[in-house]
Amino acid sequence: MVDTQTQNKAPWWKRKDVKETATLWVILSVLIGGVAGEVISRSLGAPASETMANTIRMMKIFTWVAAPVAGLVGAIGLKSLMQKRHTGDTPPAESDHQIANSPKAAAVWIVISGLLCLFALVFGMIVMQEDAKSLQAANAIHINVTGQQWLWNFDYPDNAGVRSHDLYLPVDRPVIFDVSAKDVKHSFWIVQMGVKVDANPGYITQTAVTPNKIGVFDVRCAELCGLLHAYMQSQVHVVSQADYDAWIKSQGGRA
Amino acid sequence: MTTTMDKTASAGHSTKRPLIEKLNVFTAFGLGIILAVVCYVLAVKFIPEDTDSMLIHTKHDQVVLLAMIGWFVGFMVGIGALIGPFRWLLGKDLTHDENMFYAGKDLGVKRYFRYTTDHKVVGIQYLVITMVIFGVGGILAMLIRTNLGNPEGGWIHPQAYNAIVGIHGIIMIVGTIIMITGPFGNFVMPIMIGARDMAFPRLNALSFWLIVAAIPPILSSFFLGGIMTGWTAYEPLASESPAGMDGYIMFICIFALSTMVAGANITATVVRMRARGMTWNRTPIFIYGVVASVALALPAFPVFFLSQIMSAFDRAMGTTFYNPAGGGSGWLYENLFWLMGHPEVYVILIPAIAALMEMAPVFTRRPLFSFNVAVMGIAGICGLSALVWAHHMYMSGWAPLLNGPFMLTTELISIPTGMLFFVLVGTLWRGRLWLTVPMASIYALLWNFMIGGITGIYLSDVPADGTLHGTMFVTAHFHYTLMGAGLTGAIASISYWFPKMTGRMLDRRLSWVSFWMVQIGFNVAFTGMFLVGLAGQPRRVETYNAMFNQGNMITTGGAYVIMAGMLVLLFAVIDSWRNGIKASDNPWFAKTLEWSVPTPVPLENFATLPVVTTDAYGYGKAKS
Repeated sequence: MVDTQTQNKAPWWKRKDVKETATLWVILSVLIGGVAGEVISRSLGAPASETMANTIRMMKIFTWVAAPVAGLVGAIGLKSLMQKRHTGDTPPAESDHQIANSPKAAAVWIVISGLLCLFALVFGMIVMQEDAKSLQAANAIHINVTGQQWLWNFDYPDNAGVRSHDLYLPVDRPVIFDVSAKDVKHSFWIVQMGVKVDANPGYITQTAVTPNKIGVFDVRCAELCGLLHAYMQSQVHVVSQADYDAWIKSQGGRA
Repeated sequence: MTTTMDKTASAGHSTKRPLIEKLNVFTAFGLGIILAVVCYVLAVKFIPEDTDSMLIHTKHDQVVLLAMIGWFVGFMVGIGALIGPFRWLLGKDLTHDENMFYAGKDLGVKRYFRYTTDHKVVGIQYLVITMVIFGVGGILAMLIRTNLGNPEGGWIHPQAYNAIVGIHGIIMIVGTIIMITGPFGNFVMPIMIGARDMAFPRLNALSFWLIVAAIPPILSSFFLGGIMTGWTAYEPLASESPAGMDGYIMFICIFALSTMVAGANITATVVRMRARGMTWNRTPIFIYGVVASVALALPAFPVFFLSQIMSAFDRAMGTTFYNPAGGGSGWLYENLFWLMGHPEVYVILIPAIAALMEMAPVFTRRPLFSFNVAVMGIAGICGLSALVWAHHMYMSGWAPLLNGPFMLTTELISIPTGMLFFVLVGTLWRGRLWLTVPMASIYALLWNFMIGGITGIYLSDVPADGTLHGTMFVTAHFHYTLMGAGLTGAIASISYWFPKMTGRMLDRRLSWVSFWMVQIGFNVAFTGMFLVGLAGQPRRVETYNAMFNQGNMITTGGAYVIMAGMLVLLFAVIDSWRNGIKASDNPWFAKTLEWSVPTPVPLENFATLPVVTTDAYGYGKAKS
C-alpha cells in the first residue's frame, strides 16, 4: 500500500505521513464499526427467535470486520486530500514520484481480502447449520402456509380442519412451515424471527424456526404479488403451550 | 445539406433526391405508426375470437404484440436501417458517396436525426437519449417518493403505483446500462484507441436506433394497464398482468438486440482496431472497462431475450413454460432472469469505475497505481459475475442446497472488487489532487461504493438474507451501487469529456453545485431507506406501517434534493453546450489519444493514424 521513496532514509513505517494515516485508520475504523454496528442492531429491533439473534450478532461482527477495510480506504483518501491540493484551470505540477505499482502491497491486499472472504463464508456456513436445527427437530409442529392474493392461510395439520389467518405458535417449540401459494408467488416472512421463504404455486418450500419469546409479531409478504401486495400482512401470536392448546381447542381441534 | 444538393443537381439528377437522403427520424416515426395501426386493424379483424372453452384468453395479447412488431418493423425501415442489407441482397453495396452521406459528411445538425454511422454522432445521440431516459425514470422516481411521503399515501391508485415502480426500475436499468458505453464508449473509445471509426459503423447506428424504437412500447404500457410485476417481471404474476406486460416484453426484446449488436461491434473494434503499438499493456483502462462491460452483456442479454420470448409465448400462444398448472415453473423464469440480471449490474458498474480510474491519474498527476491489478480486478469480476446469479434466489426455495456454493461465489467477488479500490486509493496516495468535479467524483465513488459493497456482503450471507431479502434494504443497497457508484462515474465522465464532445467547458460553478446536491441528497435519501429496510419495510409497497414514517420522510426529502441537483446539472449541460467557455483541445493536459485530435473532432478523427510507444499514464517527475 505504501510506497517507499529512494531518498527517504527512514523505513516507510516511520515516515510522518504514514504514521498519521495509521492513526486516522484506527480512529475511522472504531468510528465506523461503532456507529454502523449500533445503527444496525437498533434498527433490526429485538429478536423473537435464536435465528434472528444469530443474524443480528453476525451482522454486527461483519460490520466490525469490514470497518478496518473501510477505515483504511477512508484514511488514505483523507490523508491524500489533506496533503497537496490544487485548484484552478491548469493542472498542478507533476507529482513527486512516479511509482506505478507495488507487487508486495498488491499481494498483501489480495491475501487479506481472501482471508476476510473465507471468514465470512465459514461463519455464514456455521450459522446456516445452526439455523437448520429447527428443521430437523423431532418434536417440531408442522404448519401449512398458503399464500393467496392478498392474505395468508395457516393450516394446522396435527389438528385437521383448524385454519386461521393470524398465526398461533407455542413458545420454545420448533415449527416447520410447509409453504405454498394458490395463485402467484408470495414470500412468507416473519419479521422479528428472521425467517423467510417464497410461496410458489405448485410447489412446497420449507423453512423452520423456534420462537423463544411470548408476544405478537409481524408476518409480511416480501414478494411483489400484485395490486394489494402492501396490505398482505398478518400477525403471529406466540403464546405459552397451555394457551396454545386452549386456542387449538377453541378452534375445534384436539389439544 | 446544401453542398449535397448542389452536387446531386450538378450531377444531373434534377431535383429528385435518392431514397437514402429522404429517410430520417420523422419518416421512421411515421412509417412505424402507420404499420402499427395497419397490423392492429388486420389483427383485430382476422384473429379468431377467444372462446370460453379456451384455457387462457390470448387474442388481446396477440393483437397488441402484432401492433408493436408492426411499429418496430416500420420504424426500422423508415429510418433506413434496411437499405444496406437490401443492396447486399441485390448483390451490390453502397457507393463511396453514399457511405460518406451515411457518415454525416457536410450534413450539419441534420445528421443527428438520421441513420448516421459516424461514431461521434452516435455518441452524442446516445448522450441525449440517456438523458431523456433518466428524465423519464427520474419523474417516475419522484412520483414513487411523493406517494410514499406519508403512510396513508395512496393518492396514486395501487395499479398505477405498481406500473410506476416497475417502469421506473426497468427504464433506469436500461439508462444505466447505456450511460457510459453509449455516449463515451462510442464517442471517445475509437479516438482513444487511435481508430478512424468503429469496426462496423452501420451496426453502430443500428444499435442506437434500436433503443429509440424500444422506448415507445414501454411507455405505451402505461396506457395498456401497466405492468404490476416490478422490473423483474416474475412469473406467474406477469402472465396475470394486463397488456402493458406486452410493452415490457417488446421493450426488452428490442433493447436486448441493441445490446447484442453494440456488444459485438465494440468488442470487435477494441480487439482489431487499436493503433499500431498499442499493446494490451498500453491500452487505457477505460477501454478495458468498456470492452469488459459489453463482452459481459454478450452472453447475458440473449438469455434475457429468450426469457421474454417465452413469456410472450405463454401470454399469446397459450404455452406453459412458466405456468405450474401446465408443467412449467416460475423458478425457470427466475433462473433465466438472474442469469442476465447479475452480470448486468457489472455491465453497469465496470465502465463507470473504469472511467474514474482513467481520470484518477489525470487529476492526481501521477501514474495509475497497479495497472495490472486493475485489469485483473475487471477480469475477475467478469468471470465471477456469471456464477453468482442464484444469490437472488436464496429465499425462493428453488435449491436450498445450492445456497452454500452461491454464497461462496458471491463472497469471492469481493476480492476483485477490492482490487479496484486498491488501485484507486493507491493512485490518490501522495498525488497532487487537482480539485475538479471528476476528482471529487472519485471520492464520492469510494464512499458510496464502500457502503454499497459492504451492505452487499450482508446480503450475500444466507442467514442475514433471511431477514433482508425483499426489503427496502436491498433497494437501498443496489441504488448505492448503481446510482451512487455508477451514475457518479457517468456524471464525472460528462464533465471530463464534455470539452472534447462539445468544444466547450461544462460550467464549473453549476457542476459543483449539482455535485454536492446530488451526493448529499443521495446519501440522505438512501440512508433513510437502509433504516426502514432493516426495521422491516418490504420493497415495492404503496403503503407502510406508521413505524416507518420517519425513515420514509427522510428518503422523500433526500429524493427532492437529488431532483433539484439533477435539474441544475441538466441546465448546466444545455447552457454550457450552447454558450459555455470555449475549450482548448486538451484542457486537462491528459495523455490519452482523444486529447491529441483537434476539437471539434474531424470526420474520421486522424489525418494520419497515430503510433503508440508508451502507456498513457506517464505523469510524475522522474526519480532523482
